[in-house]
Amino acid sequence: MPELSELEARLTTLGRQVEWPPTPNLHAGVMAKIAAQQVIPLPTRRAIRPSHWYENRWAVAAAAVILALAALVAYQPSRDTIANWLNLHTRIKQVPVLTTPSPLPPGPIGARLGLGGYSTLPKASAAVRWPVLVPSTLGQPDEVYLQFPPDGALQGEVTLVYSARPGIPASVQTGAAVLVTEARGAVNTDFFGKTLGPDTTLQLVTVAGHQGYWIAGAPHVLVLIDANGNPRYLTLRLATNTLLIDEGGTIVRIEGNLTKDQALQIAASLA
Amino acid sequence: MEGRPEDDRDLFARAQRGDTAAYEEIVKRYQQVAFRTAYVITRSAGDAEDAAQEGFIKAHRALGTFRTGAEPRPWLLQIVANEARNRVRSAGRRHQLELRLAEGYRPGGAAPSPEAAAVASEDSARLLGFVNALSDEDRLVITSRYLLELSGEETAAALGIPEGTVKSRLSRALARLRARVEAVPGA
Repeated sequence: MPELSELEARLTTLGRQVEWPPTPNLHAGVMAKIAAQQVIPLPTRRAIRPSHWYENRWAVAAAAVILALAALVAYQPSRDTIANWLNLHTRIKQVPVLTTPSPLPPGPIGARLGLGGYSTLPKASAAVRWPVLVPSTLGQPDEVYLQFPPDGALQGEVTLVYSARPGIPASVQTGAAVLVTEARGAVNTDFFGKTLGPDTTLQLVTVAGHQGYWIAGAPHVLVLIDANGNPRYLTLRLATNTLLIDEGGTIVRIEGNLTKDQALQIAASLA
Repeated sequence: MEGRPEDDRDLFARAQRGDTAAYEEIVKRYQQVAFRTAYVITRSAGDAEDAAQEGFIKAHRALGTFRTGAEPRPWLLQIVANEARNRVRSAGRRHQLELRLAEGYRPGGAAPSPEAAAVASEDSARLLGFVNALSDEDRLVITSRYLLELSGEETAAALGIPEGTVKSRLSRALARLRARVEAVPGA
């Protein structure tokens, strides 16, 4: 490199004196989004044929399918990015092998299912920034769990646990009848995902104007992808039928031995 | 060698083979220069963050097109800078944020007398004022090459122009800057 003129030398020194804005930590968000994008976007509602579009697709694939529900955006998005993500909660990826879930460890349900610490409805409501929704058809939950990063979503994650109700038996997979998990969907560090086998079906549904996804059939694996974009395989658990809806920025996951109608009724009674 | 940071090219080679940990390390290593390059182009920290983030994501998608053994930094900066320019274009407006001197800067890292520090700081502030007042084309090439200390190849990648054009543009920009500096006594 030729010798710098005095002006060039002064400019180089100047660069070290400039007050650059603090460099944000991009790697967590980048890696989480890359993890979510290892997948093919789910067709929009308009693109989906009324008859079971997924059956042919999956039969031909003869492979397991990951549904990575990128409901919780992995970084603090800008105004542009928020707009891009609002309708981009679901992605699908074909994988050659369906991951085998770890067996449930013994102990309290919160610990076994990675729900976080034991809490109460008033305490959990006070700890998070959104109004915790409770399904009136199920009434008050039997147990409430709350968790924050590193295991929970950035703004917190609340799970309501319901024991057996009339017509809703406890699940042998989870030990509870219904789990209702809520987290904010705009500025969180986690993604929800599910690995679906060929015996599990996916349907788009609408609950009180909010888009949702009904995942039913064979028990499936639930994967929580951590803030660094890595799947938390250690906390894999078997889930039962699941309804996942976007309640205006709050992502609500309802899972249990539920029929679709039961799940939709529970979702419609959230208040 | 134990404790020695892995060579960037080795990291890229690992990332190309699907090693996500290697790519995460790449992001950590390059996030500052990527963010600052995007900031120089967008003049907005928010847009720069978005551009750098999207750039890294697109670069990961395009890893297959990266030529093994090539210099990774210009390749990455080109993708990030493209994102930054797209944001400036789509925003349809220009941010007017100007570079400023950091408070408490100590020239040379030593502890100069208060008078010497004040004079040095005043000189720098005046020079930065001239840089801020340059046309966009001149400001971008000077800021990238000297303030960000990018190489000629990296500056070309960041500005999306051939390296030869960087040299000629830089030469003209320096001449204009020098004329302004010399026109003001004491600058």
